[in-house]
Parts: sequence; C-alpha cells; structure tokens
Amino acid sequence: MVTKSFIYIITIALIGSICAESCQNPKVEASYFTSLDATVVTQIAYITEFTLKCDNTLPENYGLYAEVDGKSLTAARIGENKYQISWTEEPAKARSGVHQINILDEEGWASLRRARRADPAASVAPLLAIQLSHPGSYSGPWVNSEILATFISILVAYTALRNKSKILA
Amino acid sequence: MSGKNNKAFTKEEELLLQDFSRNVSTKSSALFYGNAFIVSAIPIWLFWRVHSLEISTAIIWFILVTAASTWLLALAYRNTKFQLKHRVAVRREDAVAREMSRKLADDKKMSRKEKDERILWKKNEVADYEATTYSIFYNNALFLTIVILSSFYILRTFTPTVNYIVSLTAASGLLALLSTGTK
Repeated sequence: MVTKSFIYIITIALIGSICAESCQNPKVEASYFTSLDATVVTQIAYITEFTLKCDNTLPENYGLYAEVDGKSLTAARIGENKYQISWTEEPAKARSGVHQINILDEEGWASLRRARRADPAASVAPLLAIQLSHPGSYSGPWVNSEILATFISILVAYTALRNKSKILA
Repeated sequence: MSGKNNKAFTKEEELLLQDFSRNVSTKSSALFYGNAFIVSAIPIWLFWRVHSLEISTAIIWFILVTAASTWLLALAYRNTKFQLKHRVAVRREDAVAREMSRKLADDKKMSRKEKDERILWKKNEVADYEATTYSIFYNNALFLTIVILSSFYILRTFTPTVNYIVSLTAASGLLALLSTGTK
C-alpha cells in the first residue's frame, strides 16, 4: 500500500517536473548568418542565433536540439536563454534557399529518438521552427577575365586585319 | 590641247597625293605620338596590378620600355598610314567628288579649276583622316593582342620584369617591322 502510493507520488512528481521543464508558449527572436563567398573557403557555414522566451522560467541547463535537412545538431548555449545552432556544408552541396530548422527540447528529442527507432521516417512536432534563408555563395566568375580579354582582343585584331586586306586589295 | 591638260592634271594629282602622304603634318605627328604613348603606357597598369610588378623596383624599365615602344608604335602608325592612304584615296575619290560637286554646283562664281582643286584637296583630306584613324586602330588592336597573348600565355613562367620588357618590345618591334613591309 505504502509502496504503491509512494510509486504514485514519485510518478506524479516526475511528470510534474517534466511538465515544468518544458517551455510553455515559446517565442523566439532569431538572426542568422551564412558564408556568402565561396572563393576562398573550404566549407559554407550556416549559423543561427536565437533568444528563447517562455511563459515559465526554464531550468538551468535547458538543452535544445535541432534537426536540419536530416542532420541532428545540439544547440550551444551562449547566454541567458540565448542559443546558437551552426553547421557547415561542402560548397558544392550547399544549396541556396530556405532551410527549415526544427528545434526540440530534451523531452521532444527523446520522443523523436523513440519514434525513429520504430519508424525512421517518423517526426515529432517541434518546439519551434526557424527559417534560415541562404542566398547562395559566390564562387568566382563564369569566365576567367584573362580568357575573356584574350578572346575579345583576338576578335578585334582579326576584324582589323580583315579590313586592312580589304582596303589594300 | 585638252588631252595635254588632262595629262597635266592627272600628273599633278598624283604628285600632290604623293607629296602629301610623304609629309606627315605636325598635327598628325602629334596625334601619332600621343596615341602611341597612351597605348604603350596602358600595359604598365596591367603588369602592376595583374602580374604584380612593383612600380618602385621597375620604374627605370617602365620609362625606357614605354619610350622605345612609343617610338616604334609611332613608326608603325606612320608607315601603315602611308601604305593605306593611296588605296583609301582611290576608293573614296568618286564619293568625295560627287559630294563636293553637289555642294559647289550652286556656286557660279568659282572657276572650274578652283572647284577641281577644292575637290582634290577634300579627297586628300578625307583619305588622310581615314588612313590615320584606321592605322591607329589597326596597330593598337594588334599591339594589345600581342601583349596579352605574350604576357599571359607565352611568357607566363618568366619573372614579371622580363615578361614586361620582352612582351612590349616584341609587340611594338613586330608591328614596326610589319609596317615597313611592302604589299
């Protein structure tokens, strides 16, 4: 009897603590940065920093996890309720456009892991989602300038030679 | 009588044309040298910025090579112009004569001789101008093509100083040489 009620109390306390840990009504302010120049870099960096505001106070070391384009990442804590998520990509594979970042807390992450064990394509509703827009990186001109200059100068010289022979003919 | 006159006219025409083409007027000369200097100076920018040739180290070479190239290019301009002028005159004479006749047709006070002289002078001026500008265009186009080809492809492995000296002297020298050839 005592053991049973003890178990109940513990369970309720646990559930209560879990509920208290989760962020209620999350609001986020996010900024992002991506590498725009691909001429001298070996990887394209995607970085997003965001501040999380919840109705309840969050516990210490409130961890966040993210999933982007099939990649699993951990959010780094950079300040009071401030987090940063970053990853890199090969310049050849980096695509421009909007990348959807799904952010989950520890509980969400654990449930996602569990669901994935059963069905790899399963997904869990994220705590919040951030859109990161990458405009594309510049990887150099299509035609090398010296080749273009050579080509144009040869064209002009050829025209000049032809006209001269026409005049002297 | 008229036959003789016609002959004298034609000979005069030829002489005048020849005379004019041998003498390069001061204005033409200034135009040639000015143009040659500008075109010779342009590759300095190319070598400084693209081939990383420091100005402070190579200033003497810049001055010497630019001077030599200017002289050679001006020579090329003069010779090419001389080559072209007569041919251009022959091509343009009908059109010029037609236009001048139309212009002077209303002027009753001018004698026939004066009209002919005016037409001849105009033909000469047109041929002179066209030959000058075409000579400058032709030589510039070839000069820049040769400089680009030799500095970026042929002499790529040499030091920038050697590259500069050889590219420019070869380009201007080649053009001067080609211009003296008879066609």
